[in-house]
Amino acid sequence: MIHGLLQLLLFQALGEVLSAFVIPFIPGPVVGLVLLLAFLGWRGRVPAAMDQVGSAILQHLGLLFVPASVGVVMFWPLLKANALAVSVALVLSVVATIAVTALVLKWLAAPRAQDDHAP
Amino acid sequence: MRPELPPIHEIWVYLAGSPLFALVLTLGAYALGLAAYERSRRNPLANPVLIAVVLVAAALSLADMPYARYFEGAQFVHFLLGTATVSLAIPIHRGWASLKGRLGALTLAMAAGGVTSIAVAVGVLKALGTDEALVRGMWAKSVTAPIGMGIAERIQASPTLTAIFAVSTGVLGAMLGRFVLNAAGVSAWWQRGFALGVAAHGIGTSRAFSVHPVAGAYASLGMGLHGVVSAVLLPVLVMRGG
Repeated sequence: MIHGLLQLLLFQALGEVLSAFVIPFIPGPVVGLVLLLAFLGWRGRVPAAMDQVGSAILQHLGLLFVPASVGVVMFWPLLKANALAVSVALVLSVVATIAVTALVLKWLAAPRAQDDHAP
Repeated sequence: MRPELPPIHEIWVYLAGSPLFALVLTLGAYALGLAAYERSRRNPLANPVLIAVVLVAAALSLADMPYARYFEGAQFVHFLLGTATVSLAIPIHRGWASLKGRLGALTLAMAAGGVTSIAVAVGVLKALGTDEALVRGMWAKSVTAPIGMGIAERIQASPTLTAIFAVSTGVLGAMLGRFVLNAAGVSAWWQRGFALGVAAHGIGTSRAFSVHPVAGAYASLGMGLHGVVSAVLLPVLVMRGG
C-alpha cells in the first residue's frame, strides 16, 4: 500500500513541478494524470499496489470535496441574495449537459453486441 | 488522589486548535452521509456529499468556528483531491482498449456537453443580471473540483465559489442523472456513465461506480477528458472573451 501511495504522490509531485516551471497554464494534478497515463501505457498494466490505493481514493472521491464545499458558508449572503438565479442556472445547466452529451453519443456511436444496458 | 480533569472549555480550545477536530468532523459527517445513502438503498436523492456538507456547515455555525480555521485542519483531506486526479489515469488506462472506434464520438460528445454546460449556466445568470463574481464562478463548474479550482485561479474567478458550484453540479447531476437519461432514452451503461462524468465530474462518477462498473469507468473517462481539455482551453477562451 505504501508503494502505491508513494508512486501516486511522485507523479503528483512531478506534475506540480512541471506545471510550476514549464507549462504554467495546466494545473499540476492534470499534468500528473497525463504523465501517469503515459507511464501505464508504456508498462502495459497497472502496478497492483498503485491500483489498490488509487481505487480506494477514487471510490471515496466524494469525501474529498467536502472541505472545499463547506466554503459555502463564506458566500452565503451573496448566494442567498441570488438563490433563484443560481439554482435555475445550476439545474438547467446540468440537465442540459447530461442530455446533450448522452444524446450525441447515442447518435454517433454504433451499438455493440457486448454493451450492457440499464433495465 | 484523582487527577483533576480540565474544564470542558479548555478541552474544546485544545481540540479546536488542532487539525483533529476538522478531520473528525469531516470524516464523521461523510460516514453519516454514506450510511444514509446505503440505508436509502443508494437513492440518488440521499447524496452523501450533500449530507456531509450540510452537517459540517451546521456544526461550524454551532461551534462558532470560522471557515478558515476549519479548512486549516480539513486541508489534509482536500489535498488528496490532487492525488485523486492523478489516480484517474488508472480507470482511463483500463478503459482505453474498449475505446477504439469510439474516441471520435466520445470527444465530440464531451465537447458538446462542455459547451452546453457553460453556455446554459453563464447564459442564465447573465440573462437574470446576477453578480459578475457568480458568473465567473460558473465557468469551470462542470470540471472536476481540483482541476476546476486550478482553472478558476487562472481566470480570476473565486476557487471557493467554483468549488461550491462544482459540488452542487455534481450533487444535482448524481441526483437527476437517472431521470434525465431515462427521459432521453439512453440506456447503454457506457453512454450513461460518460454523460454523468462529463456533466457531474467526481460526484457523478462516484454515483456511476455505485450503479454499474462500466458506467463508472466511462464516467472517470468523461471527467478526465473534460478536465484535461478544459484546463487547456478555458483560460484561453475566458481571457479572449474578457
